[in-house]
Amino acid sequence: MRQTIQIIDSQTGQPIDAEIFDEITLAHFIETQADWRPVVLEAARALAKDPKRATLIPSHFHWDWTRKEAELKMLALRFYGISCKARLQGIMKVDTVARSCRLPEQQGKPLVYIDYIEAAPWNIKQLMEPLGKRQQFRSVGTRLFEAAVLQSDEEGFKGRLGLHSLPGSEGFYIKECGMTPVGRDPHKQNLLWCEFTPEQAHRYLAGE
Amino acid sequence: MKFNTDRKWLERRAAQEDRHFISVGGLISTLDPTCQMQASASIPIVETTKTAFVRLLQLTRRDRRLSLEKLAEKADVDLAELVKIENDESFMPGPRTVHQLASVLDLPAKKLMVLAGLLQAKDPSLQQASVRFAARSEPIGNISPEEHAALEEYVKFLNER
Repeated sequence: MRQTIQIIDSQTGQPIDAEIFDEITLAHFIETQADWRPVVLEAARALAKDPKRATLIPSHFHWDWTRKEAELKMLALRFYGISCKARLQGIMKVDTVARSCRLPEQQGKPLVYIDYIEAAPWNIKQLMEPLGKRQQFRSVGTRLFEAAVLQSDEEGFKGRLGLHSLPGSEGFYIKECGMTPVGRDPHKQNLLWCEFTPEQAHRYLAGE
Repeated sequence: MKFNTDRKWLERRAAQEDRHFISVGGLISTLDPTCQMQASASIPIVETTKTAFVRLLQLTRRDRRLSLEKLAEKADVDLAELVKIENDESFMPGPRTVHQLASVLDLPAKKLMVLAGLLQAKDPSLQQASVRFAARSEPIGNISPEEHAALEEYVKFLNER
Protein backbone atom coordinates (compact mmCIF):
# COMPACT_ATOMS: atom_id res chain seq x y z
CA MET A 1 0.00 0.00 0.00
CA ARG A 2 1.36 3.39 -0.97
CA GLN A 3 -0.87 6.42 -1.34
CA THR A 4 -0.47 10.11 -1.82
CA ILE A 5 -2.02 12.18 0.94
CA GLN A 6 -1.65 15.75 2.04
CA ILE A 7 -0.16 17.12 5.20
CA ILE A 8 0.45 20.78 6.01
CA ASP A 9 3.76 22.53 5.42
CA SER A 10 4.24 24.81 8.42
CA GLN A 11 6.47 27.22 6.52
CA THR A 12 3.87 28.02 3.87
CA GLY A 13 0.74 27.02 5.74
CA GLN A 14 -0.28 25.16 2.59
CA PRO A 15 -1.06 21.48 2.08
CA ILE A 16 1.80 19.49 0.61
CA ASP A 17 1.85 16.03 -0.96
CA ALA A 18 3.23 13.22 1.18
CA GLU A 19 3.13 9.46 0.92
CA ILE A 20 1.65 7.04 3.40
CA PHE A 21 2.86 3.47 3.01
CA ASP A 22 2.99 0.19 4.87
CA GLU A 23 6.18 -1.29 3.39
CA ILE A 24 8.26 -0.44 6.41
CA THR A 25 11.75 -1.90 6.48
CA LEU A 26 14.53 -2.10 9.01
CA ALA A 27 16.08 0.91 7.29
CA HIS A 28 13.10 3.01 8.37
CA PHE A 29 13.51 1.84 11.95
CA ILE A 30 17.18 2.72 11.88
CA GLU A 31 16.28 6.14 10.44
CA THR A 32 14.08 6.86 13.44
CA GLN A 33 16.92 5.93 15.78
CA ALA A 34 19.61 7.85 13.95
CA ASP A 35 17.67 10.97 12.90
CA TRP A 36 14.91 11.33 15.44
CA ARG A 37 16.49 10.45 18.77
CA PRO A 38 19.19 13.17 18.83
CA VAL A 39 16.54 15.83 18.12
CA VAL A 40 14.23 14.51 20.82
CA LEU A 41 17.09 14.42 23.29
CA GLU A 42 18.12 17.97 22.42
CA ALA A 43 14.54 19.16 22.91
CA ALA A 44 14.21 17.22 26.16
CA ARG A 45 17.36 18.87 27.51
CA ALA A 46 16.03 22.31 26.59
CA LEU A 47 12.70 21.55 28.24
CA ALA A 48 14.39 20.18 31.36
CA LYS A 49 16.05 23.59 31.93
CA ASP A 50 12.64 25.21 32.32
CA PRO A 51 10.70 23.82 35.30
CA LYS A 52 7.45 25.22 33.90
CA ARG A 53 7.82 23.20 30.75
CA ALA A 54 9.51 20.09 32.16
CA THR A 55 6.19 18.26 32.18
CA LEU A 56 6.16 18.55 28.39
CA ILE A 57 9.13 16.21 28.05
CA PRO A 58 7.87 13.24 26.10
CA SER A 59 7.78 10.07 28.09
CA HIS A 60 7.86 7.49 25.34
CA PHE A 61 11.07 7.71 23.44
CA HIS A 62 12.83 4.74 24.94
CA TRP A 63 11.13 2.61 22.28
CA ASP A 64 13.88 1.22 20.10
CA TRP A 65 12.36 0.51 16.70
CA THR A 66 15.43 -1.38 15.54
CA ARG A 67 14.47 -4.13 17.97
CA LYS A 68 11.14 -4.52 16.19
CA GLU A 69 12.61 -5.98 13.01
CA ALA A 70 11.28 -9.49 13.71
CA GLU A 71 7.75 -8.10 13.92
CA LEU A 72 7.83 -6.84 10.34
CA LYS A 73 6.86 -10.28 9.08
CA MET A 74 3.99 -10.88 11.49
CA LEU A 75 0.66 -10.87 9.69
CA ALA A 76 -1.32 -9.46 12.60
CA LEU A 77 0.91 -6.41 12.72
CA ARG A 78 1.02 -3.56 10.27
CA PHE A 79 3.50 -0.72 10.24
CA TYR A 80 2.72 2.57 8.55
CA GLY A 81 5.05 5.37 7.64
CA ILE A 82 4.58 8.83 6.18
CA SER A 83 7.33 10.29 4.03
CA CYS A 84 7.69 13.77 2.64
CA LYS A 85 10.69 15.44 1.04
CA ALA A 86 12.50 12.08 1.15
CA ARG A 87 12.36 11.85 4.94
CA LEU A 88 10.33 9.70 7.27
CA GLN A 89 7.88 12.03 9.04
CA GLY A 90 5.95 9.63 11.24
CA ILE A 91 5.52 5.96 12.04
CA MET A 92 2.79 3.78 13.52
CA LYS A 93 2.37 0.16 14.51
CA VAL A 94 -1.08 -1.43 14.70
CA ASP A 95 -2.20 -4.88 15.77
CA THR A 96 -5.43 -6.54 14.67
CA VAL A 97 -5.29 -9.59 16.92
CA ALA A 98 -3.82 -8.90 20.35
CA ARG A 99 -6.64 -6.80 21.82
CA SER A 100 -10.41 -6.62 21.68
CA CYS A 101 -13.05 -4.10 22.73
CA ARG A 102 -13.55 -3.35 26.41
CA LEU A 103 -16.48 -0.93 26.32
CA PRO A 104 -19.53 -2.77 27.70
CA GLU A 105 -21.62 -2.12 24.56
CA GLN A 106 -18.99 -3.69 22.29
CA GLN A 107 -17.12 -5.93 24.74
CA GLY A 108 -15.02 -8.62 23.02
CA LYS A 109 -15.51 -7.35 19.49
CA PRO A 110 -12.40 -7.09 17.31
CA LEU A 111 -10.65 -3.78 16.89
CA VAL A 112 -7.52 -2.25 15.47
CA TYR A 113 -5.11 -1.59 18.32
CA ILE A 114 -2.58 1.22 17.93
CA ASP A 115 0.46 -0.14 19.69
CA TYR A 116 2.69 2.79 18.86
CA ILE A 117 2.42 6.10 17.05
CA GLU A 118 5.04 8.79 16.80
CA ALA A 119 5.66 11.83 14.64
CA ALA A 120 9.21 12.87 13.81
CA PRO A 121 10.35 15.35 16.47
CA TRP A 122 10.70 18.21 13.96
CA ASN A 123 6.95 17.93 13.37
CA ILE A 124 6.06 18.34 17.05
CA LYS A 125 5.39 21.93 18.02
CA GLN A 126 6.10 21.37 21.72
CA LEU A 127 9.56 20.03 20.94
CA MET A 128 10.56 22.62 18.36
CA GLU A 129 9.51 25.70 20.36
CA PRO A 130 12.13 25.25 23.13
CA LEU A 131 14.76 24.92 20.39
CA GLY A 132 13.60 28.19 18.83
CA LYS A 133 12.49 26.43 15.67
CA ARG A 134 9.23 26.10 13.79
CA GLN A 135 7.79 22.63 13.27
CA GLN A 136 8.19 21.41 9.68
CA PHE A 137 4.97 19.57 8.93
CA ARG A 138 1.63 19.51 10.70
CA SER A 139 -1.07 16.79 10.86
CA VAL A 140 1.33 13.83 10.53
CA GLY A 141 -0.10 12.12 13.62
CA THR A 142 -3.61 12.91 12.43
CA ARG A 143 -3.01 11.15 9.12
CA LEU A 144 -1.55 8.08 10.82
CA PHE A 145 -4.49 7.93 13.22
CA GLU A 146 -6.88 8.31 10.28
CA ALA A 147 -5.14 5.37 8.56
CA ALA A 148 -5.75 3.19 11.62
CA VAL A 149 -9.47 4.07 11.60
CA LEU A 150 -9.67 3.39 7.87
CA GLN A 151 -7.90 0.04 8.32
CA SER A 152 -10.47 -0.86 10.99
CA ASP A 153 -13.19 -0.19 8.44
CA GLU A 154 -11.40 -2.26 5.81
CA GLU A 155 -10.92 -5.17 8.22
CA GLY A 156 -14.66 -5.18 8.89
CA PHE A 157 -14.20 -3.82 12.41
CA LYS A 158 -16.36 -0.81 11.49
CA GLY A 159 -13.88 1.74 12.79
CA ARG A 160 -13.49 0.17 16.25
CA LEU A 161 -10.13 1.24 17.58
CA GLY A 162 -8.27 0.98 20.88
CA LEU A 163 -5.06 2.35 22.34
CA HIS A 164 -3.23 2.95 25.59
CA SER A 165 -2.70 6.69 25.76
CA LEU A 166 0.32 8.20 27.45
CA PRO A 167 -0.62 10.81 30.08
CA GLY A 168 0.40 13.74 27.88
CA SER A 169 -1.71 12.49 25.00
CA GLU A 170 -4.98 11.77 26.77
CA GLY A 171 -6.41 15.19 25.91
CA PHE A 172 -5.80 14.58 22.23
CA TYR A 173 -7.53 11.24 22.06
CA ILE A 174 -10.45 12.07 24.35
CA LYS A 175 -11.18 15.75 23.73
CA GLU A 176 -10.02 16.17 20.15
CA CYS A 177 -10.65 12.75 18.62
CA GLY A 178 -13.70 11.87 20.71
CA MET A 179 -12.54 8.49 22.01
CA THR A 180 -14.07 7.07 25.18
CA PRO A 181 -11.71 6.74 28.16
CA VAL A 182 -12.56 3.25 29.41
CA GLY A 183 -10.17 2.96 32.35
CA ARG A 184 -6.59 2.58 33.50
CA ASP A 185 -4.91 -0.69 32.60
CA PRO A 186 -2.83 -2.17 35.44
CA HIS A 187 -1.26 -4.57 32.94
CA LYS A 188 0.05 -1.71 30.79
CA GLN A 189 1.77 0.68 33.19
CA ASN A 190 -1.61 1.98 34.33
CA LEU A 191 -2.04 3.82 31.04
CA LEU A 192 -5.51 4.92 30.01
CA TRP A 193 -7.31 2.59 27.62
CA CYS A 194 -9.28 4.62 25.09
CA GLU A 195 -11.69 3.19 22.55
CA PHE A 196 -13.67 4.19 19.47
CA THR A 197 -17.14 2.83 18.78
CA PRO A 198 -18.14 2.70 15.09
CA GLU A 199 -20.22 5.85 15.57
CA GLN A 200 -17.36 7.77 17.17
CA ALA A 201 -14.94 6.59 14.47
CA HIS A 202 -17.18 7.76 11.69
CA ARG A 203 -17.82 11.07 13.40
CA TYR A 204 -14.04 11.51 13.52
CA LEU A 205 -13.59 10.69 9.85
CA ALA A 206 -16.41 13.03 8.88
CA GLY A 207 -15.00 15.80 11.01
CA GLU A 208 -18.02 16.28 13.24
CA MET B 1 -7.92 3.77 1.76
CA LYS B 2 -10.04 6.83 1.30
CA PHE B 3 -8.40 9.66 3.21
CA ASN B 4 -10.27 12.85 3.90
CA THR B 5 -9.41 15.41 1.22
CA ASP B 6 -11.23 18.34 2.79
CA ARG B 7 -8.67 21.05 3.53
CA LYS B 8 -10.70 22.57 6.36
CA TRP B 9 -10.91 19.18 8.05
CA LEU B 10 -7.15 18.77 7.75
CA GLU B 11 -6.42 22.23 9.13
CA ARG B 12 -8.79 21.75 12.05
CA ARG B 13 -7.25 18.37 12.89
CA ALA B 14 -3.74 19.84 12.56
CA ALA B 15 -4.62 22.59 15.04
CA GLN B 16 -5.93 19.95 17.47
CA GLU B 17 -2.75 17.91 17.08
CA ASP B 18 -0.58 20.98 17.68
CA ARG B 19 -2.06 21.40 21.16
CA HIS B 20 -1.02 17.94 22.38
CA PHE B 21 1.44 15.12 22.17
CA ILE B 22 -0.08 12.25 20.25
CA SER B 23 2.29 9.56 21.48
CA VAL B 24 1.10 6.07 22.20
CA GLY B 25 3.42 3.42 23.57
CA GLY B 26 5.21 2.61 26.80
CA LEU B 27 6.36 4.93 29.53
CA ILE B 28 9.97 5.54 30.45
CA SER B 29 9.02 5.45 34.07
CA THR B 30 5.90 5.06 36.12
CA LEU B 31 7.42 6.23 39.38
CA ASP B 32 6.71 9.92 39.38
CA PRO B 33 6.80 12.97 37.07
CA THR B 34 10.22 14.14 38.22
CA CYS B 35 11.70 10.72 37.55
CA GLN B 36 10.13 10.86 34.12
CA MET B 37 11.92 14.11 33.44
CA GLN B 38 15.24 12.81 34.73
CA ALA B 39 14.99 9.62 32.75
CA SER B 40 14.13 11.52 29.60
CA ALA B 41 17.25 13.60 29.86
CA SER B 42 19.42 10.50 30.10
CA ILE B 43 18.05 8.25 27.39
CA PRO B 44 21.31 6.69 26.22
CA ILE B 45 22.02 5.63 29.78
CA VAL B 46 18.56 4.09 30.15
CA GLU B 47 18.98 2.10 26.94
CA THR B 48 22.42 0.82 27.86
CA THR B 49 21.59 -0.09 31.41
CA LYS B 50 18.40 -1.83 30.30
CA THR B 51 20.47 -4.37 28.37
CA ALA B 52 22.61 -4.90 31.46
CA PHE B 53 19.44 -5.23 33.57
CA VAL B 54 18.07 -8.04 31.39
CA ARG B 55 21.42 -9.83 31.16
CA LEU B 56 21.96 -9.53 34.91
CA LEU B 57 18.59 -11.12 35.63
CA GLN B 58 19.13 -13.89 33.11
CA LEU B 59 22.61 -14.78 34.26
CA THR B 60 21.81 -14.56 37.96
CA ARG B 61 18.75 -16.73 37.49
CA ARG B 62 20.70 -19.31 35.52
CA ASP B 63 23.61 -19.14 37.96
CA ARG B 64 21.15 -20.05 40.72
CA ARG B 65 19.67 -22.78 38.49
CA LEU B 66 16.21 -21.28 38.66
CA SER B 67 13.66 -21.74 35.89
CA LEU B 68 11.49 -18.77 34.95
CA GLU B 69 8.54 -20.48 36.61
CA LYS B 70 10.48 -21.12 39.82
CA LEU B 71 11.76 -17.54 39.97
CA ALA B 72 8.27 -16.14 39.36
CA GLU B 73 6.95 -18.33 42.14
CA LYS B 74 9.71 -17.45 44.62
CA ALA B 75 9.48 -13.72 43.87
CA ASP B 76 5.69 -13.76 43.77
CA VAL B 77 5.61 -12.01 40.41
CA ASP B 78 3.57 -12.70 37.31
CA LEU B 79 5.28 -15.30 35.09
CA ALA B 80 4.13 -13.50 31.93
CA GLU B 81 5.79 -10.29 33.14
CA LEU B 82 9.02 -12.16 33.86
CA VAL B 83 8.99 -13.67 30.37
CA LYS B 84 8.50 -10.19 28.92
CA ILE B 85 11.33 -8.75 30.99
CA GLU B 86 13.76 -11.38 29.71
CA ASN B 87 12.64 -11.26 26.08
CA ASP B 88 11.60 -7.68 25.37
CA GLU B 89 14.01 -4.96 26.40
CA SER B 90 11.43 -2.30 25.56
CA PHE B 91 9.15 -3.73 28.24
CA MET B 92 9.13 -1.64 31.40
CA PRO B 93 8.69 -3.76 34.54
CA GLY B 94 6.79 -2.37 37.50
CA PRO B 95 8.70 -1.16 40.58
CA ARG B 96 7.21 -3.93 42.74
CA THR B 97 8.40 -6.61 40.35
CA VAL B 98 11.93 -5.23 40.29
CA HIS B 99 11.95 -4.98 44.07
CA GLN B 100 10.75 -8.57 44.47
CA LEU B 101 13.33 -9.88 42.00
CA ALA B 102 16.10 -7.98 43.77
CA SER B 103 15.03 -9.48 47.05
CA VAL B 104 14.95 -13.09 45.81
CA LEU B 105 18.15 -12.83 43.75
CA ASP B 106 19.95 -10.96 46.50
CA LEU B 107 20.71 -7.93 44.32
CA PRO B 108 20.66 -4.27 45.43
CA ALA B 109 17.08 -3.12 44.77
CA LYS B 110 17.81 0.55 44.11
CA LYS B 111 20.57 -0.26 41.62
CA LEU B 112 18.30 -2.70 39.89
CA MET B 113 15.66 0.06 39.63
CA VAL B 114 18.25 2.28 37.95
CA LEU B 115 19.27 -0.46 35.53
CA ALA B 116 15.62 -1.11 34.69
CA GLY B 117 15.16 2.57 33.83
CA LEU B 118 12.83 3.25 36.76
CA LEU B 119 15.27 5.61 38.50
CA GLN B 120 17.88 7.97 37.18
CA ALA B 121 21.51 6.91 37.27
CA LYS B 122 23.48 9.40 39.36
CA ASP B 123 26.77 7.56 39.08
CA PRO B 124 28.32 7.73 35.57
CA SER B 125 30.55 4.77 36.34
CA LEU B 126 27.42 2.62 36.47
CA GLN B 127 26.93 3.09 32.75
CA GLN B 128 30.53 2.13 32.00
CA ALA B 129 30.29 -0.97 34.18
CA SER B 130 26.94 -1.85 32.56
CA VAL B 131 28.35 -1.58 29.05
CA ARG B 132 31.30 -3.78 30.00
CA PHE B 133 29.02 -6.34 31.60
CA ALA B 134 26.57 -6.38 28.64
CA ALA B 135 29.48 -6.87 26.25
CA ARG B 136 30.96 -9.74 28.24
CA SER B 137 27.75 -11.72 28.68
CA GLU B 138 25.42 -13.55 26.32
CA PRO B 139 21.71 -13.94 27.05
CA ILE B 140 21.42 -17.58 25.92
CA GLY B 141 23.23 -20.84 26.45
CA ASN B 142 24.88 -22.24 29.53
CA ILE B 143 26.68 -19.84 31.80
CA SER B 144 30.39 -20.01 31.09
CA PRO B 145 33.23 -19.45 33.57
CA GLU B 146 33.88 -16.09 31.87
CA GLU B 147 30.25 -15.08 32.25
CA HIS B 148 30.30 -16.22 35.85
CA ALA B 149 33.34 -14.03 36.46
CA ALA B 150 31.69 -11.07 34.70
CA LEU B 151 28.55 -11.58 36.74
CA GLU B 152 30.43 -11.75 40.03
CA GLU B 153 32.46 -8.66 39.19
CA TYR B 154 29.35 -6.69 38.20
CA VAL B 155 27.31 -7.69 41.26
CA LYS B 156 30.29 -6.78 43.45
CA PHE B 157 30.42 -3.37 41.75
CA LEU B 158 26.69 -2.83 42.32
CA ASN B 159 26.95 -3.76 45.98
CA GLU B 160 29.98 -1.56 46.61
CA ARG B 161 28.72 1.72 45.13
